[in-house]
Amino acid sequence: MFAFIVRRIIATIPVMAFVALFVFSLLYIAPGDPAAVIAGDQATPQDVERIRQGLGLDRPFLIRFGEWLFNVLRGDLGISIFTSLPVTQLIKQRIEPTVSLMAVTLVLAIGIAVPMGVIAAWKAGSWIDRLAMAVSVTGFSVPVFVVGYLLAYIFALQLDWLPVQGYTPLSQGVWPWFENLILPAITLGFVYIALIARITRASMLEVLQQDYIRTARSKGVSQPSILFVHALKNAAIPIVTVIGIGIALLIGGAVVTESVFAIPGLGRLTVDAILRRDYPVIQGVVLMFSFVYVLINLLVDLIYTLIDPRIRY
Amino acid sequence: MTRLLTEKDVVVARQLPDVLPARAPLTGFIGYCRRNPAIAVGAGLLLLMLFLALAAPLLWTVDPTALAPAKRTRVPSADYWFGTDQLGRDIYSRVIYGARVSLLVGFSVAVLASIAGLAIGLVSGMVRWADSLIMRIIDGMMSIPPILLAVALMALTRGSVQNVIIAITVAEIPRVARLVRGVVLTLREQPYVDAAIAAGTKTPRLIFRHILPNTMAPMSVQATYICASAMIVEAILSFIGAGIPPSVPSWGNIMAEGRTLWQVKPHIILFPAIFLSITVLAVNLLGDGLRDSLDPRMAKRL
Repeated sequence: MFAFIVRRIIATIPVMAFVALFVFSLLYIAPGDPAAVIAGDQATPQDVERIRQGLGLDRPFLIRFGEWLFNVLRGDLGISIFTSLPVTQLIKQRIEPTVSLMAVTLVLAIGIAVPMGVIAAWKAGSWIDRLAMAVSVTGFSVPVFVVGYLLAYIFALQLDWLPVQGYTPLSQGVWPWFENLILPAITLGFVYIALIARITRASMLEVLQQDYIRTARSKGVSQPSILFVHALKNAAIPIVTVIGIGIALLIGGAVVTESVFAIPGLGRLTVDAILRRDYPVIQGVVLMFSFVYVLINLLVDLIYTLIDPRIRY
Repeated sequence: MTRLLTEKDVVVARQLPDVLPARAPLTGFIGYCRRNPAIAVGAGLLLLMLFLALAAPLLWTVDPTALAPAKRTRVPSADYWFGTDQLGRDIYSRVIYGARVSLLVGFSVAVLASIAGLAIGLVSGMVRWADSLIMRIIDGMMSIPPILLAVALMALTRGSVQNVIIAITVAEIPRVARLVRGVVLTLREQPYVDAAIAAGTKTPRLIFRHILPNTMAPMSVQATYICASAMIVEAILSFIGAGIPPSVPSWGNIMAEGRTLWQVKPHIILFPAIFLSITVLAVNLLGDGLRDSLDPRMAKRL
């Protein structure tokens, strides 16, 4: 087991190296002159030249990449053009709201989507099933910020049940923290719920047809126990996979959700950086999120072996 | 009181033939729509949006770029069907024109990402030595969340419809390439491909005659999903200020402009949101319908 984990961790190194190379080369791949674009339309030639040097675009690609990678490995993601602060420091300041939002979303989405998919599969073809699948198709079709404004309008402005916008740190109490995150988490989780519910239903339909389910039923095992213990355990692999892959949706969606609900997290940092064309910040955030994504999917691979002991790599 | 039954009261059942004739199979256009309601509804809604987009110059009521500061943030009325935004521009006319941008971005990304993904997937599936290298690159690209990849690309280029299309296409290519590679690897194991090779078929002919046509069914389904996702990503990019330049009326831009006023004037965001959601829903329905009709075993499963 230990050897397997080590091997799996080593296998992610080339992927991460390529991500780093790709994120770095964007500066060179992008059409036009990035320095001029970042400097903006009112910039003097001196400004453009200063930014070009700051980004290292005046030096050979490989040397520049080597330096940059060396710095990244030491935890130095460069300096923000706009604020002149280290990108790592900016990320550290903004990380709590984003991690909170994602954690609440993850728990909420799995808690809603898995039972929804299981029940839809159990009652396949019934109105419950159709309703669940209709919700799922809607989830794929409505952009995340539209869901956000709709929920905020109904539950915060009209009904006044929850705060409209903002974020309270966890250190100021669990309830104020949670209360502010309910609407953003449902907003962010909507597509994710749609995705997980669909896969859960498909995977459960497959498993429910198997002989051992009939055996369990004829033994007199109760329906909830059949669904949530016997069947779900064997339907879990695709579900866990999609939960891992879907994190990409959450990361992309967080950028938008944080703008809608005025949450001062990494998404806001990214949006502000876009408006100021602060490329080092964007590069740092993209790199960090990609590494997190790779690590989460590594974790998913490790969870496989817990769910299904037959899986050995 | 009691009445005797007469012959008139007895109804004799009509004599039925031993074998009932089969119900005439539904044929033609109506039959196709009956059998594939998702395709019919999706395609119908999509054609409607396409019509709105193409006929926009005939359908607008007020010049969509005309500023009228005196008439700003009006609620919907007979003159301004969907109201006006904070610069007094007519939202109905802007939404009609916005259909052009969304559909253009959706279709272009679907076509470009399909072509590029098909080429990369074919090479990866057919050429053994290139496969592991290409797959490592694809794995790396797929580790970057698509929206962030598009955001990073947009931060380095000037906002234009063309650059938005390129940015979203680059973010979508890995998924298509991976799908095509998987299909090609399965097809290569098929007996008919072995037979073709044994009969002396050259590689280009093998690819174009035997492999490529069989990738078309899963590709067309994937292309519709890419189209739907591209329209949403375009709206998101425009919404956070990294997309289409603000001078072009696109659904994302109209919503971005309505953002600051959403608590008091929700109608500015509402109308483009409805149009965008219906269009994406139409494309998704079309995709689901195509998938079910192309692969009946999967039908009603996913």
